[in-house]
Amino acid sequence: MTSRLFYDLVALVIFALVIVLGVPAIMGFDGFELNTFARYLALAIVSLALALSWGGAGLLNLGQAATFGMGSYAMAMHLKLKASGDGLPDFMGWNNVPELPLLWVPFQSLAFTLLAGLMIPAFVGGLIAIFMFRARIAGVFVAIITLAFLVAFQLVVIEQQGITGGQNGLTGLAPLSLPGWTVDTYGVGFYYLVAGCLMVAITLGIFITHSKFGLILKAIREDADRTRFFGYNVANYQTVIFCISAALAGWAGMLYTLVLEFASPTYMSVSFSLAIVIWCAVGGRESVLAAAIGAILVNMLEGRLSDVFVEGWNLILGVIFVLVVMFMPRGLHGLIGSGWQIITGKAGKPGMRPVDTGAAALPAKSAQER
Amino acid sequence: MDAILNQIFAGLSMASILLMIALGLAIIYGAMGVINLAHGEFVMLGAYAAWAIQTYTGMSIIMALPFVFVAVALVGWLIEKIIVQRLYHRPLDTILATWGIGIILQQTVRLLVGAESRFVKGPEFLSGNTQIGGLIMSNYRLFVIFFSLAVLAGTWALMTRTEFGMKLRAVIQNRQISECYGIEAKNIYSVTFAYGAGLAGIAGALITPLFSTIPTMGTGLVVDAFLVVIVGGLGSILGAASAAVLIGEATALFSMLFNDTLGRIAVLAGIIVLIRFRPRGLFPSNTRR
Repeated sequence: MTSRLFYDLVALVIFALVIVLGVPAIMGFDGFELNTFARYLALAIVSLALALSWGGAGLLNLGQAATFGMGSYAMAMHLKLKASGDGLPDFMGWNNVPELPLLWVPFQSLAFTLLAGLMIPAFVGGLIAIFMFRARIAGVFVAIITLAFLVAFQLVVIEQQGITGGQNGLTGLAPLSLPGWTVDTYGVGFYYLVAGCLMVAITLGIFITHSKFGLILKAIREDADRTRFFGYNVANYQTVIFCISAALAGWAGMLYTLVLEFASPTYMSVSFSLAIVIWCAVGGRESVLAAAIGAILVNMLEGRLSDVFVEGWNLILGVIFVLVVMFMPRGLHGLIGSGWQIITGKAGKPGMRPVDTGAAALPAKSAQER
Repeated sequence: MDAILNQIFAGLSMASILLMIALGLAIIYGAMGVINLAHGEFVMLGAYAAWAIQTYTGMSIIMALPFVFVAVALVGWLIEKIIVQRLYHRPLDTILATWGIGIILQQTVRLLVGAESRFVKGPEFLSGNTQIGGLIMSNYRLFVIFFSLAVLAGTWALMTRTEFGMKLRAVIQNRQISECYGIEAKNIYSVTFAYGAGLAGIAGALITPLFSTIPTMGTGLVVDAFLVVIVGGLGSILGAASAAVLIGEATALFSMLFNDTLGRIAVLAGIIVLIRFRPRGLFPSNTRR
């Protein structure tokens, strides 16, 4: 186990060097290019957040975009208030909102906003998790419930125009001013802020994966009932990882709003949520670092290819995704892992089990088939 | 009072469409545990097939239905043979793979036919309304309601009164033992998937006069249809039918009380709560899974 941790840390250091030194050097410290790359880094955080719950605990959360959106709206609300000065945000005037809604008032404080961007998603994620896992909901039902929640949540956001800006989202935001530093989205400093956040998130993820907590989550993923028989409170473990994952998604959402300088309800769309799943699957759902790299690679590819094939890009993405699911269920990470085994001649070493098949969803059936 | 009756009719009309989409989904899910997120795209393919047949041959959509069924069933059969068949032992991954297939189908249609909305003419002899007191019912919607009931009856007969249906039910109950008795489970799965896809195609063709035919039309429908399947109970045909009526009517009712968006939100919330307390649906089938 410790050697695995060692490999992960080495990979993290290499990754950090590439992101911190390599990428800015290749981009020639060009603000625009770095801004584009910072967007990929922000998306990498939400991808690794999904890897924690999906790869780590076998909980496929198709509503990850909802918690991502909460974070992004929290940040956008703060910046919108800053941009509006003493007056009301402009869209409220168009919607005949007479005074600042109560929900908006605390977002005047930066400290509250930063805290809320993490805690609100974590709280909501926790509520859903308690609701589901206390009833021992598992497998595809987790996916369906989180998906239904996402659809409902996006509808609410679009419906409440006076508070959320409806379909247009929140635009015309002020730059974020931290104490002693006004963030310039196209500056090198901002790139390092996002990169730093990503490194912290990955380190946290690796720490969780290799901790005893992460080990118990793996046990739950493999067989929830047996873990229960050992006396672990499965629902509590699942709830905690769901909260952590939601908080990380909210964090990514805050950064994403800073990068793009607006918040939109499309961040909470079903297709965005499934795109997160794609990134995570391409990179490798079992490793947070691989999931982050998956997000960066797919988005880089999208950035390059969608210039060339404006129409056909989504088709290519779909084909890649189907191929990954069919032939590389453990993503690039698994591919590298098995390649390494072939090189070192350790193929078939115990401990390298095949990827979670979701068989836990249908325990009785898989028992029959055995 | 009239408003309520009209709303009930609107709910029934929606339920009939949901039922046809959900039936195919319920059979596929019930038989092989595959969550087919590409099902909405089968609906879309059916709609485009109806459009193509009408544009190039001038056939009415009712006449085109058998062709649409065969065409979409063929697409479904190919997809099952090439992709889905390899994923039966990984149920969670089928969600992802079928969603990828959905993207591919949607983008292919967008590239070949274009993203703009296509118009399909409803059949002439079903234009106009039937009026009973204050209740005004569109003839075409009435036709769709009766047609969906016929499809339901047909599917039920297929499942319970034919040799194929018996084999399918045997495979659902226990694949290994059925294979010992000489049933080709693989073929049964392929045909079932194709049949489900064909039903979705028919539903797509029938809704063309009611919905706008665009490449993304299936995405919204599949979520609703899926909820119908889950609420109805895994693989239960009659469960799916009752759930379709329930969800259609609930949406219509909430839409009348609040507005369309809040109506949908209320239904979604209701469904989440329902899954929480009855994860096997309202009418679970008694097969061992």
